[in-house]
Amino acid sequence: MRLHSLVLKDISRRKTKLLVAVLGVVVASAAIVAVVSTFSAATDSLYEESDNFGANIIVRPEVKTIPLVAGSTSMGSLFTGENYIEESEIPRIYTIMESSKLSVVAPRLYGVAELGNASVVVMGVDPEEERKLNSWWKVQGSWISSEGPGQTGVMVGSDIAAPLGLTEGSLFTLRNGNISMDVLVAGVIESTGGSEDAYVILPLAASQRLLGREGKVSSLEVRALCNSCPVEEISMQIEEKFPGLEARSMSQIVRNELAVVEHTRSSAMAVSVITLLVSTLTVASTMLASVNDKLKEIGIMRAIGASDAQIVSMLFFEGAIIGAVGGIIGFVIGTIASSIAAPLLVQVTPSPMWQILLPVTGICVLTGMFASLLPANRALGIDPAEVLRSV
Amino acid sequence: MIRILNVDKRYRIGAGEVQVLRGVSLDVKKGEFVSVMGQSGSGKTTLMNLIGMLDSPGGGSISIDGTDITGKSQKQLVELRRRTVGFVFQQFHLIPSLTAYENVALPLVFAGEKDNDAVAAALGRVGLSQRKDHKPAELSGGEQQRVAIARAIVMKPKILLADEPTGALDAATGSLIISMLRSLAGEMTVIMVTHNMELAMCSDRIVNLKDGNIAE
Repeated sequence: MRLHSLVLKDISRRKTKLLVAVLGVVVASAAIVAVVSTFSAATDSLYEESDNFGANIIVRPEVKTIPLVAGSTSMGSLFTGENYIEESEIPRIYTIMESSKLSVVAPRLYGVAELGNASVVVMGVDPEEERKLNSWWKVQGSWISSEGPGQTGVMVGSDIAAPLGLTEGSLFTLRNGNISMDVLVAGVIESTGGSEDAYVILPLAASQRLLGREGKVSSLEVRALCNSCPVEEISMQIEEKFPGLEARSMSQIVRNELAVVEHTRSSAMAVSVITLLVSTLTVASTMLASVNDKLKEIGIMRAIGASDAQIVSMLFFEGAIIGAVGGIIGFVIGTIASSIAAPLLVQVTPSPMWQILLPVTGICVLTGMFASLLPANRALGIDPAEVLRSV
Repeated sequence: MIRILNVDKRYRIGAGEVQVLRGVSLDVKKGEFVSVMGQSGSGKTTLMNLIGMLDSPGGGSISIDGTDITGKSQKQLVELRRRTVGFVFQQFHLIPSLTAYENVALPLVFAGEKDNDAVAAALGRVGLSQRKDHKPAELSGGEQQRVAIARAIVMKPKILLADEPTGALDAATGSLIISMLRSLAGEMTVIMVTHNMELAMCSDRIVNLKDGNIAE
């Protein structure tokens, strides 16, 4: 028999009395688990949604505007600076410090071409990167692929497809000055509400030939993995790496929504911490009552050889057991509560967060041990001689 | 073996103070069986607690086997008490959740020792080997006191202190307990507090305490 088994036997004898203490820990643990599960699921869901927003950084040439003034008369503005990014420079973006957080770098080349009698905006893209960026686009037909030996495939936005009678499989010719290109409609993009509704989208190399801009791109659409990524920091690193380019963060909307989630989570967590404090008091008062019940027993134990350290370690162990049992039961209840409440409160269905089982139980064990301090102090104050005198 | 020299003990009760022992001196030989008698409040239990190192004297000195125990630290006293003294109480004071075997093993647990043979031997000594798996509630008063005696002797102490060991038992069972203590004397020094003159007569010597002093 060891000291710890002595405590376990004592707990089994007084389990009804200790139930109150365990319940206190259960409530705190369940509250923490429910809050963490619910708000983690909400945050993950928000990040997932933010992926559908497309790029969160746009890199383009920095254009300086110089006002033209003659005397007191404004003559308009003069734009200076390079309007294109060298395509060969793009791989250098992966040399920034936070490069591991770059999930998509999609080059685009914009220009205007003639389609019959109409002028249309053409956008050259890297089909693989663009598809990762805009996976939410609904395309009737198929996505374009990088240019192969056959006919150049294009996608057209819904705003130009209908008036020009373009559908999957339509053939038409794009012209830019003396350059003309026969293309095949691979797919029509359903309306996104964005500017691409009015674009003809074609592979980057084809657009460069059509527009006479070989080796050039207009901008880079970058998506950084946003779950904990410092978008502004990444933007700064890109600007440092590419003097003459500006990198603009587009994450404001996500940030605002995250701020709301964070604020709500903080409030809920504060309530959980208060619950934890209350549970500490519950455990402390239950254990104090238990020590008072066992004054004689503790006195006798000290008389027959228990040291102060052994008495304290027994009480700490008892507190730890209460904390561990309460923590584990609380985890189960909190997980169930979260799976019921989260779909109603934040419209997400959280999965059980097994990774927090150990930390939450650990916190509850520490709470139980902390709550044992007062009873331990009381137990150390027991004078065996006094106890024996009174029996 | 035990030398008590001019020991005083006072207790503060409210604003006042009560002197329980006044210059008590007593020598007890190794293996001797001594009964301590006296009226309630005469200082019997206080004397036992001082010998058992549960309390410290206000003045004078107590030495056991030539070691002066006054002035020792609390930690030293715990260690000395574990190895030197066994206690038997009037109300047995067994731990209700533990079996007879586990109750007897307790002093070994606190001493960090594992000696199953010592526990079995102690239980055999008090004739309770067959009842070792029973909890206190399943034992008679006499059996509980025998378990308490086994617990007191399991560490093979030099001194066995018994405070009214028959106080909660009927006469027949009390006699059995006294004969058990009698048989232990010789191997260890036995000091017993009792009100019962007949039982005290079984000891080697009777010490009478009156008004905090010895009237032998």
